[in-house]
Amino acid sequence: MANDHDIEESAPKGLLGRVWKYGSLCAVLAVSAWLLWPGGAGAGAAGKAGAARANGRDAKHVIKFSPGTQYMPGSVPFGIGKPLEGLAKVVSRFERRFPDTRIEIINVPRVREYLVTQLSSGAAPDIINVNVEDVWVDVQKGWYIPMDGFLESPNSFVAEKHDPNLPGARQWWDLFRYQAISRGKAAPDGRNYCITMDMIETGIFYNKTIFHRLGLAVPETWPQFIAVMERIKREPHLTPLLMELSAYNDWATDLMFDQLYYNLLPGIDLVKDPAREPYLQGYLDGDELVFLLRKGFFGPHDKRYRELWRIMKQLKRYTNDDMTNADLTRQFITQQGAMYWTSSPLTYRLWSDHNLGFEWGVFYLPRFTKETSRYASGTDMCVIGGASAQFEVTCSAVGDTDSSLPLEDRMAKSERLKRVVSFLQFLCTPEQTEQVVNEYPCLIPNIVGVPVLAPLAPFEKILERRYTTTKWIFSFDLRFSDIQERMLSLYLAGGASLDEFLVWQKANLDAAAANLVRRKSPDLAAMEAQWKSLAPERAKMTDLPDEAREDHP
Amino acid sequence: MIRPSLRSTLGCYAIILPGIVLLLTFIYLPVVWAFSKSLQEFEVGGPARFVGLANYREYLTLDPTCWPSVLNMLMLTMFAVCVRLTVPLIVAKLIHSLPRERWRHFYRVMFLAPIVVPGVAVQLIWQGMIYADNGMLNSLLSAVGLSGWARGWLSDPHTALAAVMMVGFPFVGGFEVLIYYAGLSAIPDSVNEAALLEGCTGVSKFFRIDIPLILSQLKLILLLTVIGGMQGFEGLFILTRGGPGFKTTVPGLWMYFNAFSFQRMGYACAIGVLLFLAIFALTLLNLKYFKSAEDVKGES
Repeated sequence: MANDHDIEESAPKGLLGRVWKYGSLCAVLAVSAWLLWPGGAGAGAAGKAGAARANGRDAKHVIKFSPGTQYMPGSVPFGIGKPLEGLAKVVSRFERRFPDTRIEIINVPRVREYLVTQLSSGAAPDIINVNVEDVWVDVQKGWYIPMDGFLESPNSFVAEKHDPNLPGARQWWDLFRYQAISRGKAAPDGRNYCITMDMIETGIFYNKTIFHRLGLAVPETWPQFIAVMERIKREPHLTPLLMELSAYNDWATDLMFDQLYYNLLPGIDLVKDPAREPYLQGYLDGDELVFLLRKGFFGPHDKRYRELWRIMKQLKRYTNDDMTNADLTRQFITQQGAMYWTSSPLTYRLWSDHNLGFEWGVFYLPRFTKETSRYASGTDMCVIGGASAQFEVTCSAVGDTDSSLPLEDRMAKSERLKRVVSFLQFLCTPEQTEQVVNEYPCLIPNIVGVPVLAPLAPFEKILERRYTTTKWIFSFDLRFSDIQERMLSLYLAGGASLDEFLVWQKANLDAAAANLVRRKSPDLAAMEAQWKSLAPERAKMTDLPDEAREDHP
Repeated sequence: MIRPSLRSTLGCYAIILPGIVLLLTFIYLPVVWAFSKSLQEFEVGGPARFVGLANYREYLTLDPTCWPSVLNMLMLTMFAVCVRLTVPLIVAKLIHSLPRERWRHFYRVMFLAPIVVPGVAVQLIWQGMIYADNGMLNSLLSAVGLSGWARGWLSDPHTALAAVMMVGFPFVGGFEVLIYYAGLSAIPDSVNEAALLEGCTGVSKFFRIDIPLILSQLKLILLLTVIGGMQGFEGLFILTRGGPGFKTTVPGLWMYFNAFSFQRMGYACAIGVLLFLAIFALTLLNLKYFKSAEDVKGES
């Protein structure tokens, strides 16, 4: 009966019901197809930007460019202000210069898993933006194009102005303002794979309002810094310093290492790379770290090394408990933290927030004194910053050549690669870089002649300092960095003693050193000869590890 | 001339052939590939070198993460087994005992509805809202005057593993509730009536009648929980990435890091093969020694 009733009820609908039923089904299918269609709703802002600029579909060269998040056309940094359009404008200008070329801006995940699969299959974009340590790990696999030859040649867009005095007219290298950091991006094989048009630097953002209320001044030495944090700590619900775990593992390690080992450099800096030494005085490469490790440095019996981690644990007393999951930007903005050690992009977030409710400023970490450690060098803290956008050219750029040929031959023959390099050279000219980097105050331009925006002035000042002695986590493989970060988090959280941490760290360093030797085969004999020649320098030094002492059998 | 019966049989084989081919290609072939790669030193994009059982030896004897991570895995799995075999069962029994179908239906829906929330979202909620420095747990402790107990629950080495275990509290998984409820509903009315006549009711009936008759469901949940506990690492990846240190690392997570972060694919394959063997052995033991309701009936 029920069925009869249903039939009776549905009968008057008839054709109308069927039209409604199939019409709605078709509509759902049509919307789904639109959403899934390339260039549909899912293509996002980048896709639209690319489509608007694109030369015809019959372009001879279609270059895929993944610029990363900082400059992605259509994106809104921190959700504040207008969508970015600087890079899209530059790409349009380039395409007008080269009608046979189309630049497709695409957004790819920066996760390593994705990139490894794309690179190994040859399907990666021609230009990607990945962290330098990822590049270094993979250089021996032929996934990236070394840029040295291009960097040592004129930038064609500068050269066409026929003024030999312009930076970049003789060598593209000369266009880069921060030479030490730019050249410091060279991989363990000595070649450079990164093009860096901007800089990111760290600093301590501090809440001036809280400082004024507590009668505090910006510290000039480490003991003053500790005293400031001690005073803030007495305030309820206020964390003196906000820091992420990666800041301990990366920045703090390098800065403290530099403070404690700087005076030893005359006796332990063994390799003088003529290409980089003028810019990176005393820089310790991974090879040198391996050699020094064998001489007893950086182990449980190296007093300076112990001191480094002791001081870091002391610093931890004043920072946030949760080092991995906390939203520290929110904590700083809601005034739950008085200081925040982070990088320059926070400037834009604070500068553009007119309802912030407090004044803020930036200072750099103060130097250690003898009160901090008997090994303190007394020198000012160095800088540890680096390139923000690190553009690498992948092997996809030589995809127009025979893949069975050696990479050098492919590079020489590839027309596509020439156009890719041209685009990067174009991007690195002052006019274009200013359009992209200075679209909002976030990063410091690395191209000579491009001004630094006013809100970033403190970071420009910080970048005048000497570059770091070494970059620990970039010197070895990713496994080393991961294990160091894990064990450091355990040690800082009180889950391991200093001795336990150092035992782990020694094993970690030994494994990383063995891997570096296996991959690169550094010239340890040459370093041994240099080591012997520097013996008189080391004779003046105290508290060296036993194996490093000249009287050691 | 093919006989009709044979033709029919061949037709059936032809129908399942694509499925078999796909199964072999995407399930069995990768297993064989993984086993072969576990005998090599192999990086993605790099050359492979045969090293025999060196990867296995390194993991079992040299890798300091091995036994602590196995212990973590066992603790997490045992905890999951304990809570999944008890809490949802009690809830299912309570729902099943309700006198009105309308309320039984209501509670079934209520407990099942959270299944639609993705696991990743659940982990992020616990990480960001409950365990955070200024999250609900620390706020609650501060509100009741126990602010000294507040901490970074996931970053404190003394609480990280326990904090991971407690994700999902009160552990009333809708899936398990539904399975147990189905088991309880399948108990014949005649058995329930006989138990009532014998005066076997309440807790006594639950232990003496209900549990023996839903052993199949308990076995299924046990099997799935053990396999999930040994294989799963995504929750840990989101919550702690195995830290602090290796306090919440499990072999599956270390396998993932070695494969995709450190690119030690051969080494990761060796860990994967060891995990496979361990799960396979435990599954066999489970099937052999954990009796289902049908086995119990057969014996009686």
